[in-house]
Amino acid sequence: MPLQAATVVIANERSGDLVFMDTIGDTTDVVPLCQRPRGMAQHADAGSLFIACSDDSRVIELDIDNKQIKRFFSDIPGAMSLALHAASNRLIVSNEGYAKATVLDITTGEVLASLPTGLEPDGVVITDDGSRIFIASENAGLVHVFNGETYQPINTVTTNLRPRRLAIREQELWVSSEMGSRVEIFDIASLDKLDEIIFAPRGFRSEQLTPVDILFDESQETAFVALGSANHVVFIDAVTRKIDKYILVGRRPWGLGLTPDGDRLFVLNGLSDDVTIIDVEKKRPVRTSRTGLVPHSVEIVR
Amino acid sequence: MCRCFVVMLMLFFTAPALSDAFDITIISSSTENRLKAGKSFAGITVKPQRSVQRAVNLALFESSALLEKAGVQARVRQLELDFTSDIAAQLNTVSLPGFVILDLPLTDMERVAKLTNEMSIAAFNVRHSEVYLRESLCLQHLFHTIPSDRMYFDALGQFLIHRGWRKVLVVQGPSQRDSERAQAMIASLKKFGANIVDVRTFTLSHHPDDRDKNRPGFLTGGVSYDVVAVIDSQKDYGRYLQYSTRSARPVVGDVGLTPASWHFALERYGAPQLNERYRSFKIDEPLGSQVAMTDAEFAAWSAVKLVSNSINTSNEAAEFNLNAILNNPASQVDLYKGTRGSIRQWNNQLRQPILMATADAVIAVAPMPKFLHPKHYVDTLGLDEPESNCQLR
Repeated sequence: MPLQAATVVIANERSGDLVFMDTIGDTTDVVPLCQRPRGMAQHADAGSLFIACSDDSRVIELDIDNKQIKRFFSDIPGAMSLALHAASNRLIVSNEGYAKATVLDITTGEVLASLPTGLEPDGVVITDDGSRIFIASENAGLVHVFNGETYQPINTVTTNLRPRRLAIREQELWVSSEMGSRVEIFDIASLDKLDEIIFAPRGFRSEQLTPVDILFDESQETAFVALGSANHVVFIDAVTRKIDKYILVGRRPWGLGLTPDGDRLFVLNGLSDDVTIIDVEKKRPVRTSRTGLVPHSVEIVR
Repeated sequence: MCRCFVVMLMLFFTAPALSDAFDITIISSSTENRLKAGKSFAGITVKPQRSVQRAVNLALFESSALLEKAGVQARVRQLELDFTSDIAAQLNTVSLPGFVILDLPLTDMERVAKLTNEMSIAAFNVRHSEVYLRESLCLQHLFHTIPSDRMYFDALGQFLIHRGWRKVLVVQGPSQRDSERAQAMIASLKKFGANIVDVRTFTLSHHPDDRDKNRPGFLTGGVSYDVVAVIDSQKDYGRYLQYSTRSARPVVGDVGLTPASWHFALERYGAPQLNERYRSFKIDEPLGSQVAMTDAEFAAWSAVKLVSNSINTSNEAAEFNLNAILNNPASQVDLYKGTRGSIRQWNNQLRQPILMATADAVIAVAPMPKFLHPKHYVDTLGLDEPESNCQLR
């Protein structure tokens, strides 16, 4: 089956550039960008890609087609992870090292709110209806929950060691605990812990598994989790929460991206400076392609 | 960075009164002179010694949100002991359940640890790596968050074998402590298969009769080796052995490539965040860019974080119980070293990775690849359960 055309964009935190690829894994362009680009979010309708430039204290909005910078959002220190709520034109940025997150209006550039989090905030998500914002703080071992309209803090959720990334599936909040070596699942409304997924690929110890990125396919029936130091990515049946398959990738995979047709999973290997491309249906790697230095995150745009 | 700390400190410390109290008492000695400690000839500081207070305050600051959520009110207290009067009476001021950090010289620490043990107060050894504290002394309520000599030297042994540098010339200083540490190092190196080609002792004398013991070229000549492992607790001589050996070989041990539990230049595992937070923690006293927690400070920080991180991971919303946390084998701490730490049940030692570092870079993090263990890979560092004479639980 022919692959659907899409553009893969990889942010490389050490080389400070974006690598553009096709879905086969051939590099089409390399665009020098900024110091330490990390989190990204795409705004498909606007044809824009937002990129957190951590060491420049700003967020860049890039035109996906012509690869030109549309605008800067400045004075956003330690910008790390991004979450876009396109319907309300809001972008939420976690400020690593500053124990807060910034809510930006992407049309006016105005800072709408500064949300106090625990130390070392990383993963950010906002519910589809925009009513709840969740931010994970690595050091604190907490997920802070905010009202998405008034920005009032609602509650905190205690997690296992070093919560990194968040993902929403229906009424569930999935949290990767990097040093706790598991993914915890909470109910979005009650914030009760529903379950946890412990990883145990053959030949590994629990402490070697350091999960970071969580991604669901479009049906939300399959979850993908990058297992960091264990050099594997895992496929999970998201409905039954059972492990389906572990797949060996490169060194220290963190960032994950899925092609719009759901056929290819892109796994960024931060310490081997490459990306493993996985055939999702066959559940096996088909190619490894070179990236920039220390690839951090990937967005795949039509 | 700095401004946010002011705001957060206010947030945390103006919280309403909470049900459980958790006092962290830092015990020091009124007679210890830290300014003189760690100094070599001509007053050059080669091994800085600081109070662990900043690190403890930092750990408590990092733990504030979690403690608050758990309904635990925590504070740091200082207790400066006067060793010329009744120690037990002074220790009676520690509120129970006790949590004390022993920031004391070795003999004082041993004395206090025996008393706190009788009083069932949880005490933390954060300064002393002597193996006997974890072996023959073996106290139920004394925990060691600083690595043991054997953990440090096992890391060195694994590193040398991993590199294929098997032939080791040992050069040691003349003191009693040097001899003890050299023995621990040799045991570690042999355990992993190194070949000790010779053991030589240096002297600080410049007398011509002693030239085979004080001139690096003579001291390291007449034998073939891959690496020189130097034990120099005072760090007076060993620094000058580098670049002066008879054969062009690396120097490891107390100088050159050194095992450490913490380092300013660790780039991974979130360590830059922790180092930056430590440097800018006190707004009025910012530290220089290459200043990091000493191993003792890191050990004190680890002790406090073990408690807060383990409140975090116990699933029940049970009442805060300090002793239950410390005695739970599942208690754990995020050490910013890639592998979480926990307490070895047989001798109360914090299991943790060891950094192999030069003055400005972390070269490797032990346990090294392929050194395997049936339970915890980090238990290839230090005396393992079957090897230990201390069997607390």
